[in-house]
Amino acid sequence: MAWNKHLIRLIALLLIQVLILNQLQFFGLCHPYVFILFLLMMPISLPRSIDLIIAALVGLVMDLFCNSLGVHMAACILIAFLRRPMITNLVMDETRLRGDINSVALGRIGFFKYATVLIFVYHTAVVLLCAWSFAHIGFNLLQILLSSLVSGLIIIGYDILQSK
Amino acid sequence: MNNLLRFIGKHSNFLVFIILEVVAFLLIGTCNDYPHSKFLSTSNAIAGWQYEQITNIRNFFALRSINNDLAAENARLRSLLLPEPQLPLDTLPPYSPTPLPLYSSTPLPPYSPTPQYLSAKVVQLTLFEQRNYLTINRGEADSVYVGQGVRNNQGVVGIVSVVNKHYSIVLPLIHTESNLSCRFLKNDYIGTLTWDGKNPDYAYLEDVATHIPVLVGDTLVTSGLTSSFEEGIPVGVVDNATLEEGDSYYTIRVKLATNFRKIKYVEVIQTPNNELNYGVE
Repeated sequence: MAWNKHLIRLIALLLIQVLILNQLQFFGLCHPYVFILFLLMMPISLPRSIDLIIAALVGLVMDLFCNSLGVHMAACILIAFLRRPMITNLVMDETRLRGDINSVALGRIGFFKYATVLIFVYHTAVVLLCAWSFAHIGFNLLQILLSSLVSGLIIIGYDILQSK
Repeated sequence: MNNLLRFIGKHSNFLVFIILEVVAFLLIGTCNDYPHSKFLSTSNAIAGWQYEQITNIRNFFALRSINNDLAAENARLRSLLLPEPQLPLDTLPPYSPTPLPLYSSTPLPPYSPTPQYLSAKVVQLTLFEQRNYLTINRGEADSVYVGQGVRNNQGVVGIVSVVNKHYSIVLPLIHTESNLSCRFLKNDYIGTLTWDGKNPDYAYLEDVATHIPVLVGDTLVTSGLTSSFEEGIPVGVVDNATLEEGDSYYTIRVKLATNFRKIKYVEVIQTPNNELNYGVE
């Protein structure tokens, strides 16, 4: 079991997220959440309910650093739940997959589609749950688009570098 | 019963998903106003310590401006001090205490304890959220309590909302749930300061009726109606006052005295003998 790899990746991603990305303010427009890369790349061989519980705990840790109790937790659970349906619908039958999820397993285009959709879902969930109203919906949409774009670039870039 | 068990077995993943989401939404619901939780917020020891280390590094590169601010503040405080006596000591009149009468015909002045200020470092803050928070590196161990006011050398910063052992979270003026009673320096009329969630430099003053003369440039200070702040701390300056047709209240935009973008150090206002009041309001 290559759990060490995932644990190290999780810790590195959380450090990058909290030490660097959370410090950027960009007039509140751009909050890239790159640590979800860990959730995207978790091996699919785990039972699905364990997936969800791990996602909830990771989200809770993130909330602790963002003063947003519950927001990241809800969004992490959501993408952990949507992971398998996304793979089945966008790329291939999930039963054919073994082990980690990355562009080697899914193909470059397949991973790109899978990651983009889930990154967008995640940022939409976080921004709307934080706002808790539709009063500034235009500003929120801009936040979602910019944050998803930056996160997507970093995550896809990491995947390309890793799978070279 | 069998059917129920089979249903649960078939949809167990979905049930786990629903249960976890319900837990998450309960957490969101309990802290929608401000973080109630001591442990699951940036005031806990781990997150607070980590943010303090980052702030130490960042402040190192801002030492020059922090020094300049300190020097300016020192000069201002010195100008407030009474001039030192220039007379030689032996020419001073001899000290002759006048005994206090036991029963005085005039009533005593109202008891107003002098506030103590506790300096604190801002270890974490957000500016552009709807609900912004400051984390400061003082807590229960420094007798910080929920409800104490926080200011800096420019003006009001906010009110302590969560206290942990060594760190606390401050609800600043730039928070959509923030309310501060303040008054015009020139004529003592009172209004409530709120924030609309957009620009961290401006807030809005409510409840000012149309018969009150309001001019651009009027200074606002704390009213002293809450125990968090003593009277007369600067809050801001009227930037723009408009009156819509048919309105009975002004829409007043206030330029905040405190520059939240550059805030590094704050002072917690610790008025003695009124710890009991905290939490009641």
